[in-house]
Amino acid sequence: MPRRGKAITTNQVPALNKRLHQFEDLVLVTALLSMLAMALLQILLRNFFDAGIFWAESFLRILVLWVAMLGAMVATRNAGHLSIDAASRFLPLNFARWISTITNLFSSAICCVVAYYALEFVKFEFEDKTIAFGVVPSWVCQSILPFGFAIMSFRFLVKSLQLAWFGRLA
Amino acid sequence: MAKLLSFIVLLFAVLGAPLFVVILGAGMIGFYFAEIPLTVIPIEIYRLVDTPLLLALPLFTFAGYLLAESNLSTRLVRLTQVFLGWMPGGLSVVAFVTCAFFTAFTGASGVTIVAVGALLFPALVEAGYKEKFSLGLVTTSGSLGLLLAPSLPLILYGVIVQQMDLPDPFTIQELFIAGLLPALLMIVLLTAYSIWSNRHNPIARGQFTRVDAIAALSAARWEIPLPIIVLGGIYSGFFAVSEAAAVTVIYVLVVEVFIHGEVRVRDLPRVIRDSMVMVGGILLILGVSLAFTNFLIDVEIPQLLFEWISGFVSGKITFLILLNIALLMLGAILDIFSALVIMIPLIVPVAIRFGVDPVHLGIIFLANMQIGYFTPPIGMNLFIASYRFQRSITELYRATIPFMFVLLVALVIITYVPALSLGLLDR
Repeated sequence: MPRRGKAITTNQVPALNKRLHQFEDLVLVTALLSMLAMALLQILLRNFFDAGIFWAESFLRILVLWVAMLGAMVATRNAGHLSIDAASRFLPLNFARWISTITNLFSSAICCVVAYYALEFVKFEFEDKTIAFGVVPSWVCQSILPFGFAIMSFRFLVKSLQLAWFGRLA
Repeated sequence: MAKLLSFIVLLFAVLGAPLFVVILGAGMIGFYFAEIPLTVIPIEIYRLVDTPLLLALPLFTFAGYLLAESNLSTRLVRLTQVFLGWMPGGLSVVAFVTCAFFTAFTGASGVTIVAVGALLFPALVEAGYKEKFSLGLVTTSGSLGLLLAPSLPLILYGVIVQQMDLPDPFTIQELFIAGLLPALLMIVLLTAYSIWSNRHNPIARGQFTRVDAIAALSAARWEIPLPIIVLGGIYSGFFAVSEAAAVTVIYVLVVEVFIHGEVRVRDLPRVIRDSMVMVGGILLILGVSLAFTNFLIDVEIPQLLFEWISGFVSGKITFLILLNIALLMLGAILDIFSALVIMIPLIVPVAIRFGVDPVHLGIIFLANMQIGYFTPPIGMNLFIASYRFQRSITELYRATIPFMFVLLVALVIITYVPALSLGLLDR
């Protein structure tokens, strides 16, 4: 329910969350379609016009990284990551809940550490002013790393808390 | 201290933490005690950008998801039924060939069992095959075709090995050709087993009629050129692998969305998202493994591994026996992508020193992993089949065991007859 004042009420969280997910999907879909369009353009230029865009190769490779990170972020929304799913299949449900709480907390902590060091990495590149391709600086391309790991860390934390509080994922 | 921490990380792996997190954790411990700043982790992950051929992975995956979303499975079963159904072993040959083709294009994510197996299982039972046999057949077939281009694990193996700077490099094309005969061997042995196993069992065979053949060909007329475009393009060298991937996506998009209308435009964002979740999961593991395995190579783990193995293994043959046993166990607990990404950088240098060709090694590795898909107790396809056909998991264990032995025989032949993989190549 919208209220006066700027604070977001608890009822607005799911709606906001849904919007953010939709936006994330949109970016992912756009990245993949651009990748496809760029790859095709290169094939056409090479075969029919004997030409090519010189930064296309670098751009495509960076798009692969972005698609991978965005895909991994979306995977963290549900249990979409590859894992050794051995124990949980044979554990009693209530026990599995606490195991899952702890593994999510652990995942959150690890992603948080990577996000921190990725931010350091991006800062170095920002100061060095290196160029990835065309006029695009490297740090812009790399920024998906700290951002992606921070989002994943946050999502693992939320899942861990949900499991601890409600015993299931809300 | 390092040992305790490593144990904790390993414990988390067994308890079901995502594998990329486990690898990151292990890497952090390693870097911390080697006094290497942890900034190396994002730097290594960013090396994904320098990895050649990677573009092919998201594109082929998307194309595979699109095909799985369409009614290709129905058309494919119909087509193979007309042309192969009259043979002895009839429908079982149909099942093996269809599944192999479908898996090669959709990447062995278990979708073969859901899309093709679900069509074939009732048909097999109706034709007179026993239920247990049919169940085992469709579950086993779910991972058949991993060795055929353009399957994702095959490409991933090529990608990983290529960024290792081997003294004796190979091309993806060579890898694609190397998989042909071993895959054929598996199909032949499985068919022979099916005929032998049903020798006292009256099986209805299909009949070849010209009318059926034309109808089936006509229904699949848009998909039949696909392998010719993709494989012909790659094998002939007309397309680079990533170019073939882009062309495949466009072709499949046009056929399934605009000509057949089986995938609606408004479903595309969902299909893209689902396929990229899978790609993201695989590439993230690849990225973090680049960091970790480089650390392992820096501290000369493959070297130590080689010396350790040399202590009790003398020749290539004994090494290969050991390798097969280790890989079968690995395949039973790890999914194929994680197994590839984690193990290949360690195994390849060791295997080369024992005189194993890296192309042959790739085929052996994947053949092992293919069996891992339905190895009890946690082979992924067992659970997918159990869910899809509403059978208990123990029933599936029993149903698949005979097929597993057949494929183990195939594995032994593939391993000890390198010519099967390398005969068509100049290696």
